[in-house]
Amino acid sequence: MQRGLLEVLILAVPAGLLGTWIVLRGLAFFSHAVGTAAFPGLVLADGLGFAAPLGAFAAAILFTAGNAALGRGREEGRDSVVALVLVGCLAAGVILASDVFGSGANVETLLFGSLLLIDGSDIVLAAIAAVATLVASGLVGGRWLAHGFDPGAGQVSRWERRLLDALLLGLIALATTATLSVVGALLVSSLFVVPAATVRLFAKRMASWQLASVLLVAAEGTVGLWLSVKTDAPPGATIACVAGAIFALAALARALSRVPRGAVAVAAAAVVLALLAAGCGSSGSGSDGKLDVVATTTQIGDWVREVGGGAVSVDQVLQPNTDPHEYEPRPSDVEAAASAKLVFANGDNLDSWIGQIVSDGGSDAEIVDLGAAVPERLPGESSGAEASKHDPHWWHDPRNAEAAVREIARKLAAADPSKKRLFERNGAAYLAKLRTLDAGIAGCIDTIPVSQRKLVTDHDAFGYFANRYGIDVIGAVIPSQTTQAQPSAKDVSELIGLIEREGVKAVFPESSLSAKVADAIARQTGASADYTLYGDTLGPADSDGATYLGMEAANADAMVRGFSDGRHGCHLKP
Amino acid sequence: MFEPLQEPFMQRAIAEMTLLAIAGGALGCWVVLYEVSYAAESLAHSIFPGLVLAAIAGIPLLLGATPAIVLAALAIALAARLPGVSRDVGVAVVVTTMFGLGVLLALSPQSPPGIETLLFGDILGPSDGDLISAAALVVLLGVALFLLHGRLLATGFDRGGARALGLSPAFADAALLILLAAGIVVAVQGLGNLLVVAVFVGPAAAARNLTDRIGPMIAVAVAIAVLSGLAGLYLSYYVGTAGGASVALAIVVAYLLSLPLGLIRPNRGRLNLAAGYDH
Amino acid sequence: MSSEALIEASGLAVSYGGPPAVTDVSFRLRAGERLALLGPNGGGKTTILRAVLGELRPLAGTLRVDASCGSVPQTERSRLDYPVSALEVATMGALSRLPWWRRPGRDDRRRARTALGRVGLEDLAAETFGELSGGQRQRVLIARALVQDARVLLMDEPFTGLDRPAADRLEVLIANLAAEGHAIVMATHDLEQAQSWDSVLCVNRRQIAIGAPRQTLDREVLEATYGGAIVEIPGGGGRAILPPQHQH
Repeated sequence: MQRGLLEVLILAVPAGLLGTWIVLRGLAFFSHAVGTAAFPGLVLADGLGFAAPLGAFAAAILFTAGNAALGRGREEGRDSVVALVLVGCLAAGVILASDVFGSGANVETLLFGSLLLIDGSDIVLAAIAAVATLVASGLVGGRWLAHGFDPGAGQVSRWERRLLDALLLGLIALATTATLSVVGALLVSSLFVVPAATVRLFAKRMASWQLASVLLVAAEGTVGLWLSVKTDAPPGATIACVAGAIFALAALARALSRVPRGAVAVAAAAVVLALLAAGCGSSGSGSDGKLDVVATTTQIGDWVREVGGGAVSVDQVLQPNTDPHEYEPRPSDVEAAASAKLVFANGDNLDSWIGQIVSDGGSDAEIVDLGAAVPERLPGESSGAEASKHDPHWWHDPRNAEAAVREIARKLAAADPSKKRLFERNGAAYLAKLRTLDAGIAGCIDTIPVSQRKLVTDHDAFGYFANRYGIDVIGAVIPSQTTQAQPSAKDVSELIGLIEREGVKAVFPESSLSAKVADAIARQTGASADYTLYGDTLGPADSDGATYLGMEAANADAMVRGFSDGRHGCHLKP
Repeated sequence: MFEPLQEPFMQRAIAEMTLLAIAGGALGCWVVLYEVSYAAESLAHSIFPGLVLAAIAGIPLLLGATPAIVLAALAIALAARLPGVSRDVGVAVVVTTMFGLGVLLALSPQSPPGIETLLFGDILGPSDGDLISAAALVVLLGVALFLLHGRLLATGFDRGGARALGLSPAFADAALLILLAAGIVVAVQGLGNLLVVAVFVGPAAAARNLTDRIGPMIAVAVAIAVLSGLAGLYLSYYVGTAGGASVALAIVVAYLLSLPLGLIRPNRGRLNLAAGYDH
Repeated sequence: MSSEALIEASGLAVSYGGPPAVTDVSFRLRAGERLALLGPNGGGKTTILRAVLGELRPLAGTLRVDASCGSVPQTERSRLDYPVSALEVATMGALSRLPWWRRPGRDDRRRARTALGRVGLEDLAAETFGELSGGQRQRVLIARALVQDARVLLMDEPFTGLDRPAADRLEVLIANLAAEGHAIVMATHDLEQAQSWDSVLCVNRRQIAIGAPRQTLDREVLEATYGGAIVEIPGGGGRAILPPQHQH
């Protein structure tokens, strides 16, 4: 948390200073685009395994150079050049992610940012950006001002002017890259443009404008960060809302009358205080002598609650129906990890962020990698951000669930020996249910001839399920284990050919994903796309898939209905 | 050559792409001339709070998205009237705030899962609704751009002069932003965010390099958009590259090709020697 | 010539949202009159033009505009890279008469051609606006104002950047238009140009003087207007001004 605050305060310097130049020189689009254009750099860094900020910065510099080359010597249409270079960068990124590396998973975190996963290198990067901006402003700020005021005036040579522009754009690229990890590319403007624009409404001189902008960025960042901790909201979005609200108030004050500046300051302070008061509503909870445990995924949370019963207080990091690939840690998770004795993780690179959450919370909790304890393993991705030796979706084989539950019971007992018997009793009862489930699913699927058990889904999370019950996974609409990639027309065409040859009767969109391409395939092949499967997470509380047992039963039911053309399903009582 | 045309999913993708290429190429000319590429790129994000609220209220998503994006367009036009606030700064302020608000609203337990995927579509799987709304968009834009042509042209040419003619530059700005918002709210479902900005800026920017009259510019932009859409989809079909990204790349390539072609056009190149980022 | 004023300002003060950019402006503009607004850069000439166009609201005083005004802005920095022909620009003038759902029709284009002929540009109707010379662009914009049926033409530094023959042609055109009953207001910093006009209004943040050039432009007024050095040109009896702000 302190690290997040430090990062925001350091970033206030380049964001406030450069923000004034961005507003003055009409570079808002550029500053937004240069962050977004870091995408291919992030994909490359992920794919080739070097530091993400390095990739982002390299891409941002290439983007800047591309803009300089295409936009040279034109006064109008610069914004379309920015847009087109941005499109080129993004398209290259998507193709790299979809067709070269077959993945690009952690990229989304950087597009949306996460103040809570900041490490030392981010702070160093922010500090470099701050120092570089300060030095450059001191040395050539006056020249930037003169040039911005009257670009035609001949006080500087053409080359000098180009150099000055390149320096400004390069600094924006550097500072934006440093900000990506905090608020993410889509909200970079909340630090770089909105505060400077707010102060612009009142400032008359460059120096006071710059100073006030730096202070406002620092204030809005601090308040936003604090609110996000209090309300458990993502910091980037909170900062954006705070900054936007203050701008709206300032604009209103400016538009209504020649309000004295003091009144505006009072109004802004009132809003900040109101927000603070609103934020104070929520606060932490005690655990009444229960064993504090963190579970990363929904299914692990379900198991730990079953085994732990009333003796364990579980903080489950992922919530139903959120995609683990798009997870953004919440402040309460860091707090929970700080007080936890045990952390149960899925392993296999599905939830590798948990290590940082635990170390951020300053906890010495033991991280239990359940994936290492299960018996049935399938090979995973060989490259990309989610590369791992094994396919991480091991929970879809109930035999693996049994092993995981046994491991949970053993670890809980070790952590709280006084409740050992309770954990063992609960564990045994649940294991019996798992065995019943396993047998029930096997029996139900056996009603379908082997030749008809052909699974087509848009997310290949079901390798383990298919392996366990003799189902043939013949294709996935999105041919990788992540949700980031885009299919190609060729993939779709080949899959349609396969479905038609094999006589597949149903395709299964995963429940938490948009299913447009799956629908398109179903439309063309006549297969049904009406059945959804629970893939990465459990469903919400009132759904069939709210528990692990319910999820697997619902998946089996949906698959059998699909395989049998809707004639019958599985009526398994979880 | 005709093989992709026999696959129904490709027929639908090509139909959707062509409809939106026509809309994007034509409206894109005004996006380029009015320099609102930033709005074209970012307005799509401002739909987010509307989508979340519509999903929570259980009404059709388009009913939430449309007011949200129209509100954003008007807020941008309004903010740009403040002293010292350019339109681009207005876009940054409005879109950032609305997107942040959407992210916060999406934390509500009533908010359905995976709603952020509704911000995007995939060109390879347009639904019937996507095709119908794209066709409606083409009609709407066709009528609106035909009627407003003179006003948009005169205002973009010289705002003070337009005022002297009794035209309101604020009206032209707001009309363009609202048409752009309508285009984006429809196109983003069919094309995805990446492709929306590509289609709404690229073909028109390329056409601008090749023509020096508004009429031919619109025609060339539509032609470039339709052809790059086809080329991208064929590339995706035969080479197997990601669908939307292939179309976007085809449009960028078309723009790059237009640069040298534009230079050999007579009478070009002696204009716009002045440099500088401010307008 | 009617003595009824087309534009009448009295005690006018205008601002861009902050403190007034120009104050105490009073003048009457009659049909057929050519009024030069003379002053340094930033003195408030363009501010007055924008107030007449209705772009800026008066802070104080009154401003009555009883005639349609056509704007002839500077073209040096405006949209030279805009994809329109001279004819299309001239046709824009018709928009002032059309309701918003109507497009300019064949009649409007014919009028635009006639207006281009009037300013001597019928041969260049199909040329791209940005590729015309500075003087030709000024005349296209005048044609636009004629298509608009503007009785008052507001011209912002129309002679800046024109060579001698082009400036002479423009001067003749303006004189002819005035003779036909158009009133013309020109913002200029060029004293020489203003000498031949019907009246001159000297402005530097406030109105210094107004009247016929011969009577008005004395040393005292010019010093108040420009605040700069006035150089007597020996022999010719003329004077040149070297305003400190002006460095072109």
